[in-house]
Amino acid sequence: MAKPGQFWRRLLSVINRNRLERELQEEMRLHAQMKAEKNMAAGLGYEAAHLAARKQLGNMMLLQERSREQWGFSFLESVLQDLRYGVRGLRNSPGFATVALLTLALGIGATTAIFSIVYAVLLRPLPYRDSQRIATIYTVSSMFPEFSLGQSIPNLRDIQARSHSFETIASYQLRDYSLTGRRNPEQISAAAISPNFLDVFSVRPILGRSFVPEDEHLKSGNVVLLSYGLWHEQFGSDPQIVGKEVTLDEKPYTVIGVLPESFTNFSVTGWGDKVQVWVPLMIRPEDQQNRTGWMYFTVAKLRAGISLGRAQAELDGIAAALAHEYPKDAAQIKFPVESIQQVVVGSDKRELLILLAAVGFLLLIACANVSNLVLSRGLKRQREIALRAALGASRGRIVRQLLLESFLLAVTGGAAGVALAAAGIRGFQTFAPDGFPRLEEVRFEPQIAVFAFAFSLLAAVLCGLAPALAASRSDLNLTIRENSVSAPAGRSLLRGFLVVTEVALALVLLTGSALMVQSLMRTLRVDPGLRTDHLVTARITLSKTSYPSEDAQVLFTQRLLEALRAERQFTGIALSNNSVLAHRSSLMTFDPSTLGLNEQKVNLESRSTSSGFFSTMGIPLLRGREFNDRDAKGSPQVVVINDSMAKRFFTGQDPVGRMIRLSRESKEQYQIVGVVADTRDVHLTSKPRPEIYFPILQASDNEIMIMVRSSLQLAAVTGLLEKSLWSVDKDEPLRNVSSMAEVISRSVAEPRFRTWLLTAFAGAGLILTLIGIYGVISYSVAQQTRDIGIRIALGARPGNMLRLVLNHGLRLALLGAAVGIAGSFLLMRVLASQLYEVKPGDPLTLIGVTFAMLLVAVAASYLPALRATRVDPLVALRCE
Amino acid sequence: MVRTASKNELLPGTLDMLILQTLTRGAMHGYGIAQQIQETTDDVLQVEEGSLYPALQRLLIKGWVKAEWGTSDNNRRARYYTLTSAGRKQLGVEAENFNRMIEAIARVMQTA
Repeated sequence: MAKPGQFWRRLLSVINRNRLERELQEEMRLHAQMKAEKNMAAGLGYEAAHLAARKQLGNMMLLQERSREQWGFSFLESVLQDLRYGVRGLRNSPGFATVALLTLALGIGATTAIFSIVYAVLLRPLPYRDSQRIATIYTVSSMFPEFSLGQSIPNLRDIQARSHSFETIASYQLRDYSLTGRRNPEQISAAAISPNFLDVFSVRPILGRSFVPEDEHLKSGNVVLLSYGLWHEQFGSDPQIVGKEVTLDEKPYTVIGVLPESFTNFSVTGWGDKVQVWVPLMIRPEDQQNRTGWMYFTVAKLRAGISLGRAQAELDGIAAALAHEYPKDAAQIKFPVESIQQVVVGSDKRELLILLAAVGFLLLIACANVSNLVLSRGLKRQREIALRAALGASRGRIVRQLLLESFLLAVTGGAAGVALAAAGIRGFQTFAPDGFPRLEEVRFEPQIAVFAFAFSLLAAVLCGLAPALAASRSDLNLTIRENSVSAPAGRSLLRGFLVVTEVALALVLLTGSALMVQSLMRTLRVDPGLRTDHLVTARITLSKTSYPSEDAQVLFTQRLLEALRAERQFTGIALSNNSVLAHRSSLMTFDPSTLGLNEQKVNLESRSTSSGFFSTMGIPLLRGREFNDRDAKGSPQVVVINDSMAKRFFTGQDPVGRMIRLSRESKEQYQIVGVVADTRDVHLTSKPRPEIYFPILQASDNEIMIMVRSSLQLAAVTGLLEKSLWSVDKDEPLRNVSSMAEVISRSVAEPRFRTWLLTAFAGAGLILTLIGIYGVISYSVAQQTRDIGIRIALGARPGNMLRLVLNHGLRLALLGAAVGIAGSFLLMRVLASQLYEVKPGDPLTLIGVTFAMLLVAVAASYLPALRATRVDPLVALRCE
Repeated sequence: MVRTASKNELLPGTLDMLILQTLTRGAMHGYGIAQQIQETTDDVLQVEEGSLYPALQRLLIKGWVKAEWGTSDNNRRARYYTLTSAGRKQLGVEAENFNRMIEAIARVMQTA
């Protein structure tokens, strides 16, 4: 656009600025001089001639300014000048600048961090090609109505044959293997997959080959695919790995390939262990025809253009047809289809949406605060602005200067916010509960920072603009002469509205966090009915190859018990097939009609335990006896039941000595030998359910939990446990060693994390609101100094003034609190499912929170109120 | 707020052209240019004299005029402006535009 010659001349004029300036002044002085001489020649006196000359020439300052604008790059230069002025202005009012910057940083930082997390977890597509087309098909059967089961092989074949919605339907099972033959034995997680499984995810091995149908028939022996992570960590990224052997559960497997790094974090359900090795899925012969063996999970790829809804409709049809064809095995069967994204994100969706709402509120509060601050500042500066206008600054220039100041604020605040967000995201990744889905995918999202930034910028600019326009429009003389009369009613209404909004939003946050805190405290106070002190737990998963039969498992269990008992440091020893407080339990179906009761079948919690379990865990024995070592294979089958079960099925009778069967078909009879108190051994917040205990020597399992009580440190106990275990079998790895305190803490990790976050938000919101109220009240006191002075002069006492100002603050807070309580009721509906033994509408909480809010309002108004009482009427009336 | 049209108001954008035209007579200082414009137009066009200087700075930057310090008639140091060849070309362009506009206005005034 600009010609090169012009550009150089502009550049030269920048360099020669001082000379140009001098020359221009000299030139204009000469002009005035000559003009004056001409006027004198026309007969004017000396004074009059010079005055007329100056008048004819016009405003010299302004003209020089306009001339200067022609030189150099005046627009840029004036922007720089305005920026410098802005920085100076902000430095001159450090209180305003600090508060505004902190507010912006907090608002932008929190919003960006949380939005980034929510985006990564909920919204960003999973990192597989066409991931929105990947789904899983469950079975829901009337036999286990609470569970999402896998498919049985006959049903799976029928779905594959009859449905047209899917390109591929693959099946898999998750397993654990112990990897041996290298250093210490190690437990790794595995998936057994059908040959088309990797096609669903469009994954090809980076080394070697994928599975082919022949692999299922062991034509090439046992084969395994390694995940990139395992290949890297355990095999040093050996490029010659294909064809080598690894030992899984004591059996040799030939490595046929390595999967790409992008597939390294794969875990089908989002939570839990990441799959480390992949083996071909072998369907057990007995499952081939078993329509109720729902043990094969599926992943399927929808055909392009087919919606989940259409696929579901088709599956509903197939389910109905199967129910009709196989009334015995497929009655009331359903095949719910769910996208893999839903599966992975699962129940955390609601929790993240609550966080999102919380952070949205925080951003709104921050914006309201910044608006208020900028608005107050703009009003305070109205006279300064008017003065600048009087000195010849154009309206555009004044507005631009104010906008630049807002911009400066937003940029600095935004930068601090971005730093805060980055730190927040790192903190989240560190402190989020174990196994949080897609945690490693969370990263700083620049677009979101830009959004939050733009949002607060808009708030700052809009609010900075209003007073600027008003000031530059209004009659200059009036504004300059004007004394500190109260602010125009319209604008104080806007400021009041902003504060009310802030109070309302903060109240909602506060209510939410107060409820969550109470819920968490109640959860932690729950008596699990177990003695958990000085207790260490660990897990063993016996490999099915080394311990294929129940007898082998029982033998191992017996020898393990002996080895542990030989250790004098352990004051209590117990084994069980299930961990405690791990939110996982075994269920067993029980038919009460076997006792002659007219009741539906129910699920019982079931647990296999060793002798010493109840005493070690501190579970009181109410009746009968505990298990002992003689309750083993060959002895009569015995069980212990809990109080809930005794009360429910043996009302008014002594169950000890009674025989029970679990179902009509079963021939197995068990004698009840004892009744123990209820415990909350699965989940702290779920009510105890009927539970049945089996002796571990009669009902063994390949999962064994060890629980020992010892006064030693965890590390020492771990050493002793490993020594005992490896004296029985040196190839079995010991997993998940942790103290019971850790287990309990982990079992409340999620609610605690949630509560902590929401409380942090509420705290931030409260602080921002405090600042907001303080700003408004102290500004209005400053505005009313003259009024207050008059009142005091007329005999008002300081106490009256104090009350007047406090009332103003309280009125705003009360109004906001009323709106906030109404808002809380809306929020509570969303929150209800997250609360334990706390009612969402808890009146005490609402009263407490409102009271806290009013206290904040009083605290925020107190300083300005005190200032009002100290107004000296004489000074106030005289002051400009 | 009623404003009466005063005789010294210039059509916007014409000041540059007037300065360039005036300078076709030879080198002149600022005061001289102002006097010249007023004299030639019998005081019909009275430039607000000060606004000459921002305009001159603009013309300098654009390279349409050159400035040199010299001595005035009554022995004072004054800055003399002369037309450059680019300035002469520009004058042609502006004069043509101006004539076209005047013709158009005249046509409107005749038919109205």
